Amino acid sequence: MYLLAPTVLRIAPEALPAQVRARFGSELRRSGAFAHLCMLGAQACLDAAGEDGPLAVLWSSRLGALHASRAALDESLQRGEPAMPFTFIGMQPHLAGALLAQRAHPVTRSAHLHLADEDWPLLLFMAQGWLAECKRVLVGRVEESASGGVAHRSDWCLLRKKPLAGAIRLEPAPDQEGGTTATAEDWIARVAAWAAGSKAPLLLRGGKDAWRFALGK
Amino acid sequence: MTEAFVRATALASALGPDLDTAVERLSGSPLAPARNTTAGGAWPYFEIPVAGDDWMKRAEAVARAVAGSLRREAALAPDEWAALPCIIGSSSHSVGAWDRGGWAALVPPLEFSRMLAQSFGARGPAMLVNTACTSGLSAFDIAVSLVASGRFRDVLVLGVELSNRLTVAGFAGLELLSATAARPCDRARDGLVLGEAFAALIVSAAPGPWRIAALASGMDAASLTGPAPGGEVIAGTMRSALAMARWTGAAVDLIKLQAGGGRLGDLAEARAIRELFAPPPKTVSLKGALGHTLGASGPAELALTLASLARGRVPATWGFAAPDDELGLKPSGGDAKGVSRVLFNLSGFGGNVMSLALEKSG
Repeated sequence: MYLLAPTVLRIAPEALPAQVRARFGSELRRSGAFAHLCMLGAQACLDAAGEDGPLAVLWSSRLGALHASRAALDESLQRGEPAMPFTFIGMQPHLAGALLAQRAHPVTRSAHLHLADEDWPLLLFMAQGWLAECKRVLVGRVEESASGGVAHRSDWCLLRKKPLAGAIRLEPAPDQEGGTTATAEDWIARVAAWAAGSKAPLLLRGGKDAWRFALGK
Repeated sequence: MTEAFVRATALASALGPDLDTAVERLSGSPLAPARNTTAGGAWPYFEIPVAGDDWMKRAEAVARAVAGSLRREAALAPDEWAALPCIIGSSSHSVGAWDRGGWAALVPPLEFSRMLAQSFGARGPAMLVNTACTSGLSAFDIAVSLVASGRFRDVLVLGVELSNRLTVAGFAGLELLSATAARPCDRARDGLVLGEAFAALIVSAAPGPWRIAALASGMDAASLTGPAPGGEVIAGTMRSALAMARWTGAAVDLIKLQAGGGRLGDLAEARAIRELFAPPPKTVSLKGALGHTLGASGPAELALTLASLARGRVPATWGFAAPDDELGLKPSGGDAKGVSRVLFNLSGFGGNVMSLALEKSG
């Protein structure tokens, strides 16, 4: 399995609306901050990867669409107003797949997961399974800022089955010792930093799993 | 890639606390749903017959009962059971706890998934999948990918949808609910009826009664709250499932429909089926008996379908009486003799469309 375009976005909450307008104009109607973050990161990653074809999208977060969930309960139910479309049955975290498809990306599979910090390596096993049926899997981690002064996070990378010039090869390393413990929040950023500098392979751990990243075929 | 099988199934639903009761009920006369007044109306609503004022304690009680049934059927060694990872599909998580308990009662999604996994005694990684109405089948899809990658031999999948005001208010606000009954594929269908379900499955690399021949997925982004009227993506997804399974249309013995009684949704699926199958094979819808159990509907309808077939019956389609010529489908129950290949359709808000091909093994 090969990894392309590790992309790390940190966006100040107050800067998000302007960035969304600049990148997508008014296309992202009826979606909230979480979906906007997903789209900014996913689109930046796809732009950097620069290739096309059927796409699966697998992204995780710890809390999901925090603000949209609170708003749905607080503003709708508590005031006795009808719940509006897109604010219930977990639509906000799930919207990114459909929004990407609406922007002409051929999405064939998509899922958003709430995943614990240490379980990030499982996303790579899931993607490996999906790559049996799909050429590319876009993998992301998105977290809305829960408090002022903390940036929103939207980190993405593109996985593919076949090698490509400049792609990072990755494989499970169950028996390998050493390495660095990473979390769901920082593993893509670690891969991006490593890819920008070092030539030696990178071993990242999470839970009971380890994955090895190396440059070249 | 490793092959995957459905090893065991369990379900608590309006039809009863377990699958034996549900299959037996389904062979009798239709159950009248309760009325849900939580969102200011009096909508028909299929409730799990378990009492309890405390939402979270009730959820745990239902979970423990389903876990007991599943554990007996799965027959895993204690250490294998304890190591199970748990992938949960739900569209509403623990939002029902908020109805009476307010913010203090609401737990974050990950905490809720850990609580449910704990009720099952599963101590592997726990995670919660969120793809609206297909959440449970997406959880199943992820379980299949984890088995296929060789990372786990067995994976626990839960589909959980329990009563809450927000969901009912949302569907009522969209005018998608029937005021009377769910009538899948029927000429007089006029909307969905929602329901609760708590379903559990074990996906395994070890051979089980049903082999997962394919699980195809598509994205219908024409509208975020319903399929394109022509059913093109549904047809494309079924076509992919057939190709991945290396089946012809004629090889399919039964299609479990997504159909829930909505005018446009049922029509789109029927058009897709008529495009691929001439004539359509036997079809069945379970939403007249379970209600639309949203994020739980994949595992819940899968558990009920497989349990019925194991007991020699194609489940009945409650709510269907008068065919709609525009649909051209006549879902019906009956003898399951000769049913060994099943196509299982599911789709939902946000555009996910899925088609699962299952083949009787052995």
